[in-house]
Amino acid sequence: MRLLLPMLLTYLAVAATPPEKVSLRIPFLSEGETVKLQDLKASINGAPAHLSRVLGTQEPLVLLVVLDLAGDLSLVDPARQALIAEIEKLPAQVSVALLRAQDGLRVLEDPGESREKLVESIRGLSISGRAGLLDTINSATRLADAVLVKSHVRTAVLFVSDSLITNYREDYTNPVVNSSDSNDMSRRFPEGLVKEKLRQLKAEMASTLTPVFLVHVNYQNDRLNEAYQTGLLDLTNSTGGAAKFCRSIAEIPGAVTEAVERIGRLQTVELEPKMSRAKQWDISLEAPGRQLSHRSRYTPAKEK
Amino acid sequence: MRVCRTAAWFVAGLAWAQPAPPVTELDRAIAIFKTESGNLGLRGESGSVVTSAGNDRKQKPRWHGRLFENFRNNSLDAVPHEVVQRGGEQGLLRRNQFGFNLTGPVVIPKLYDGARTTFFTFTFEGVREKIGRSYLRTVPTLGERQGDWSASVDASGNTLPIYDPATTAPNAAFDPNRPVSEENLEYLRSPFPNNRIPAARLDPTAQRVQANYPAPNSDAGPFFRNNLFVFAPEINSANGTIVRLDHTLNDKNRLAFNLTNSNGTDGAAPLIPTEANPGSVIVDRQSRRASLEHVLTASSRNVNTFSVTASTSRFSYRNEGGAGAEPFPFYRISPYLALGRANPSTRSARNTFTINDGFSTRRGKHRLSMNGYMNREQVNIFAPHYPSGLYQFSAGLTSLPGIVNTGHAFASFLLGGADYAERSIVQSPSYFRKPRYQMSVSDQWEILKGLTLSVSVTLDGSGPRTEKYDRQSTVSPEAVNPANGRPGALVVAGRDGQGRAFQPFLWKADPSASLAWNVLGDTKTVARLSYGRSYSTIPVYTSQWGTQAFNGTVSWISTNMQLNPAVTLADGLTSTTRTFPDLRPESANNTIADLVEITGRQPTYQSAGLSIERSMAGQTVLTMGAGHSYGRNLLLSNSGSNPNAIPLGALQFRDELNNESFRRELRPYPQYQRFDVYSAWPEGRYRRDATYVRFEKRSSSGLSLSAYYEFSKQMDNYSGPYGVQDYYNRQNEWSLTSSNNPHRISFNYVYELPFGPNRLLFTAGGWRRHIFEGWSLSGVTTMASGEPLALHPQFNNTGGVLDVLNVNVVPGVDPQVANQGPERWFNPEAFAQPDDFTIGNASRTHPTLRMPGTQNHDLSVNKRFSITTERSIELTAVGLNFVNLANWTAPDTMIGPASAPNVNAGRIIGSRGGRVIQLGLRYSF
Repeated sequence: MRLLLPMLLTYLAVAATPPEKVSLRIPFLSEGETVKLQDLKASINGAPAHLSRVLGTQEPLVLLVVLDLAGDLSLVDPARQALIAEIEKLPAQVSVALLRAQDGLRVLEDPGESREKLVESIRGLSISGRAGLLDTINSATRLADAVLVKSHVRTAVLFVSDSLITNYREDYTNPVVNSSDSNDMSRRFPEGLVKEKLRQLKAEMASTLTPVFLVHVNYQNDRLNEAYQTGLLDLTNSTGGAAKFCRSIAEIPGAVTEAVERIGRLQTVELEPKMSRAKQWDISLEAPGRQLSHRSRYTPAKEK
Repeated sequence: MRVCRTAAWFVAGLAWAQPAPPVTELDRAIAIFKTESGNLGLRGESGSVVTSAGNDRKQKPRWHGRLFENFRNNSLDAVPHEVVQRGGEQGLLRRNQFGFNLTGPVVIPKLYDGARTTFFTFTFEGVREKIGRSYLRTVPTLGERQGDWSASVDASGNTLPIYDPATTAPNAAFDPNRPVSEENLEYLRSPFPNNRIPAARLDPTAQRVQANYPAPNSDAGPFFRNNLFVFAPEINSANGTIVRLDHTLNDKNRLAFNLTNSNGTDGAAPLIPTEANPGSVIVDRQSRRASLEHVLTASSRNVNTFSVTASTSRFSYRNEGGAGAEPFPFYRISPYLALGRANPSTRSARNTFTINDGFSTRRGKHRLSMNGYMNREQVNIFAPHYPSGLYQFSAGLTSLPGIVNTGHAFASFLLGGADYAERSIVQSPSYFRKPRYQMSVSDQWEILKGLTLSVSVTLDGSGPRTEKYDRQSTVSPEAVNPANGRPGALVVAGRDGQGRAFQPFLWKADPSASLAWNVLGDTKTVARLSYGRSYSTIPVYTSQWGTQAFNGTVSWISTNMQLNPAVTLADGLTSTTRTFPDLRPESANNTIADLVEITGRQPTYQSAGLSIERSMAGQTVLTMGAGHSYGRNLLLSNSGSNPNAIPLGALQFRDELNNESFRRELRPYPQYQRFDVYSAWPEGRYRRDATYVRFEKRSSSGLSLSAYYEFSKQMDNYSGPYGVQDYYNRQNEWSLTSSNNPHRISFNYVYELPFGPNRLLFTAGGWRRHIFEGWSLSGVTTMASGEPLALHPQFNNTGGVLDVLNVNVVPGVDPQVANQGPERWFNPEAFAQPDDFTIGNASRTHPTLRMPGTQNHDLSVNKRFSITTERSIELTAVGLNFVNLANWTAPDTMIGPASAPNVNAGRIIGSRGGRVIQLGLRYSF
């Protein structure tokens, strides 16, 4: 009998293991008031998905602020000031982590630290190194995704960057190697490497869910940087986020405010799609009379 | 059964549940953040640069890179229009451009792990190329080569008479009070019977030299002009590497090292396949550049950047006759193709050393920057112009003296009589040195929100050129020449009180200011205003100009090029008793003397601009602006300036000017034939006014485009294909810049095509998505209106007073034509050849007549095949002029005399251009 009861309990426990559920948390942004669960409809690859929960704007939010500032102090300082002003205004349910993109992604402040400490860290951030956005955007988003998947909070990533494509350690500019080669046609369209890197990043980040927002404080219109900034616009949009490029110092505070305000309005819906063997999931979220922006294509990460 | 399971869960829950403190979701999230960031290696000093596609765990950084090959073949290209028009076929083209790039952290197993701190990039690129080049030139007809000019005609199609200089005799009936004309000849001279030069009179050396000419093979015309079409291969090769190292010492210190290296050979398609080839020379090139940069971030608001750079660029011309062989002499027989070339055996090395330090700080609303810059440039050069001699021929010797449209330079060549000859004696290389220093201070001040003022001042110190062994000389306009007691004598650096340099060390302040204003507080609209003034330094040219006392030139000058040759080919350039160095003040007399500007005038530029940018919905930006720029003391070449020019008033002496001894006395410095100012005489002036509109659009759907339109007008007093008529009255030369395109449009676009699942078109999934996805287009389209036409008369009978003669305008005749086309681009009757010994009254460039406009459309089509998220293959097809458009060549602008007008004037004889395709393959990992 002493043995029988544990064996029985073990058997029942194993037999009672519920079938594996696949759940997906999709952050989305809507104009106007909070969208309620009953107003939402979702489908994946055209098949309706069950909605189990919506995190509204009053739910906790973990915001990863990544600073990628390595250049002109006259742009960096207004960006820092604007960011500080916005952080000080954030409501209590928003918890901000501060990270730095130079020489690899690095955590400067964990979420949950006091706002004063955060502000002090932003003020004291040294402006050095190479541009780091392309090298760190995937890691930062995956870190936020880990939080999103394992807890019931909203997450977002905000990059503040002054990066130029010419300032990366890796060379995306396709510089002239042989100056005596006067018939070189390969550099007539020099943006090939930039486009390739951004396509690669977009493919890698297709398996992330957290939206990425970017405030870029150094608008450029040469061919290489135009390709770079257009690629960033495409990349952030594909995550359900957005990018804003500032052409003057005066635009920086407004752009930071707009990004933080949009992040504050983020909601997250938890879906339970039917198991799909498709490599890519085309996600559709709808609410009557509302315009929702969210990640529309998701590639589940392969199990390792 | 369900009840049992529920009961079991309940019991198990009771048995195993632990009492837990109340935890909020946010606390859980923070704990997860800390754990995951630790797993990813993002905490503490180390950072992650990993871009993994799988589960996030701390991973070793990986190396990235690419392999590539770009390929061109003549079978891909269209036959160029100029080749089709000459009846030619597609020439051979083989081009391979290949290489690789590897980039990532520096890791040496068991010795060094720079995964987070040291980063390298290594790039190699090689090029192997064989490419056809086409040229259309004029060579003597087969008859002319035998002395038979009976079929030769002038530009109007009339027989061109060739006169026998051996029959020259003074005309007893000449009336010196009347201009020389066919009715009042100063000299009598008989034409060759039947317009044929007897075989016995043909100079043997000329016969030997002219055997290098290929036979005519084209009838592009008119008449016998443009009768040689050359389509020859050019073989080029190059190998280059770039090494970059980036090392982060700590949060405050960073080092970056760059090293580039390239070796190459610039081939040259020969115009003539013998040692007499006048085309480009084969050049072997080497370039190296190394730089080290240190960035110190002293605090969050103070950054200092220090860099040291050294670079060298070397080239040497290959002697086509073989190493050590005597170069072929240079025979200039205009308008025919020359034989031989200038500078046949040049070697040069340009070394540059630069130290730069910049400090930036932020104080309140100010960003202050200070920069110091030191540069030292070395040019080591061995470049004899004409080591085997220059022979220059003109029509004069075979003309009827004083009468234009008679005689021919090639006929004079056949008789062996050159009107000018020169030989360079260069015994050693020159080692030029030049320093430059700059210190700048700038402040960017946010006066108000939305109003930023930037001011800066650069103190620019430009040192003069010196020579390592003081082997420099120039003509000093003040020094008295012992030969004639007049001003202008050679002075030598470092001797007789002369400093090591001829020019002063110049310190100038370059101010600039700009204002950015968000008009009326609207951040979407930015008004920008800017002003700047700058000075440019006089560069060290790749030439041994200014060393005449050490590397001299011996000249032979005809006393009257209509009557006597300077030298005959039979005599050659007899050895001279001159030895170098020759430091005597009169040693440059009777030569084209090098003249270095010594007053310290520097090219000065000023510019001002105003623009308004407005960002609009849909990520679009519209910019409108206007700019004004102005420059003075711009450096001019010998075609733009001549400080020893004869004043135009001397034209009154008419035919007497053909006498060299008479003419030379009219020059400001009669002891010199003229001055060689190279490209360093600060006398140019320009003004440019432009207005423009730019539209930019960026879209998250993968489309970006920009369109730009500019309307501009640029005037100057020096530019053009021929040079300046009046050196003494620059205001008369003020006309449109020869390169000014008033209307310019460019259109750039990049578009990721919306093909594939979840896109607009070709939405099929499965294996078909590999076909449809990953296509993109990039394109550049440019259109420009034509440059102003520079019309010039066929003959310049001004006794050598004018280097360049403008045409005359015929009053009341419209230069424009109704139906403009290649047969009649402009009306040549609106212009006339000026009378002998008078200047032309038309401007240097025409104010309304322009060359045909040009347009070009380049396109790149890319297809990306994704292998994994980080590995891909990309195929690229680049098409230059992909619509295979032909652009008209320039019309014939030569205006002949009324008696023999150029029948081709105003006509366009062809077009150029053709589609060029390159295919590329790149594997990225």
